[in-house]
Amino acid sequence: MGRLSWRLAEVAEVKPETDRVVTLALDVPDWDGHLPGQHLDVRLTAEDGYQAERSYSIASAPGASHVELAIERLDDGEVSPYLAGELRKGDQLELRGPIGGYFVWEPDQGGPLLLVAGGSGVAPLMAMVRQRAAAGSDVPARLLYSARTLEDVIFRGELERLDAADDSLTITYALTRAQPAGWPGYGRRIDAAMLEEVSWPPGERPLAYVCGPTRLVEAVAGDLVALGHDPSRVRTERFGPTGVP
Amino acid sequence: MSMDETDLRLDGNAVAGMMAELFGFEMTVEWGGCAGCGAVNQLGALLVYAHGMGVVACCPDCGRNLFRIARGQGRWWLDLRGLAWLQLDEQARMSR
Repeated sequence: MGRLSWRLAEVAEVKPETDRVVTLALDVPDWDGHLPGQHLDVRLTAEDGYQAERSYSIASAPGASHVELAIERLDDGEVSPYLAGELRKGDQLELRGPIGGYFVWEPDQGGPLLLVAGGSGVAPLMAMVRQRAAAGSDVPARLLYSARTLEDVIFRGELERLDAADDSLTITYALTRAQPAGWPGYGRRIDAAMLEEVSWPPGERPLAYVCGPTRLVEAVAGDLVALGHDPSRVRTERFGPTGVP
Repeated sequence: MSMDETDLRLDGNAVAGMMAELFGFEMTVEWGGCAGCGAVNQLGALLVYAHGMGVVACCPDCGRNLFRIARGQGRWWLDLRGLAWLQLDEQARMSR
């Protein structure tokens, strides 16, 4: 179901996504796959032996050539400035995983699938969207993604390509800080009215996955339940105060 | 907006690695019962506060402290008094 021992991975590529987010593509020896939604624990060790561990969701689909993490650089962070600013191709990184099973979606779980992301909380949902596409799944899916500005949308180019190529996938952005001139979409935080417009009615029993900063996740999950959605079909993953959009 | 306990609240997913290291199972899919209100939840859905070397996990239904885990100096400390029961599925056993 997963692997516990720490092992060394090698950075295969560092891809800038936004001003504050990079994708780390990793070569992990003997990687035996993961499920969309799972994460890795990353461990950094300082010269004096001090260690810091952080969890990062895997954004790549299980069949991708590398294991990819989307790392948001937090200015006061202990780990992310190193991962998102200093790591280079060929560097090594200690990690364990894949880990997690609760916040996992595979195409055979069906849907309809409602994905709600705040900021870098899109990472595990991106693994689900990518796996859904890779598997040729026609499970209806909607992604509602809250970001500060359009430039802060991670994976934007790929999301737009996937959206355009697939009638059963809809992607909606909520831009909370600034919107481009003439922006036709939402220009506010996610709220109950928006969820009611974007989601399926509760009677269609969508399977919902909500990930991002704790406040957003709890507000969205609360709104979904208040709208009549079955709490047992609303799964949440809280990132804490990270990257509040 | 100032940061308070709400912002720092995590869930069972955030400590999946620590729990797996301790129990040897992927604990977020395992089920536990609250000794207070009787609610049954998967551990991934529990509310978690992680401070330094310790973790407190609470019932999402009533807020009761279900278990605490701390580690240090080569030892684990476990306080499970809020948990009425815990079910471990062999399918969720992790490999080393």
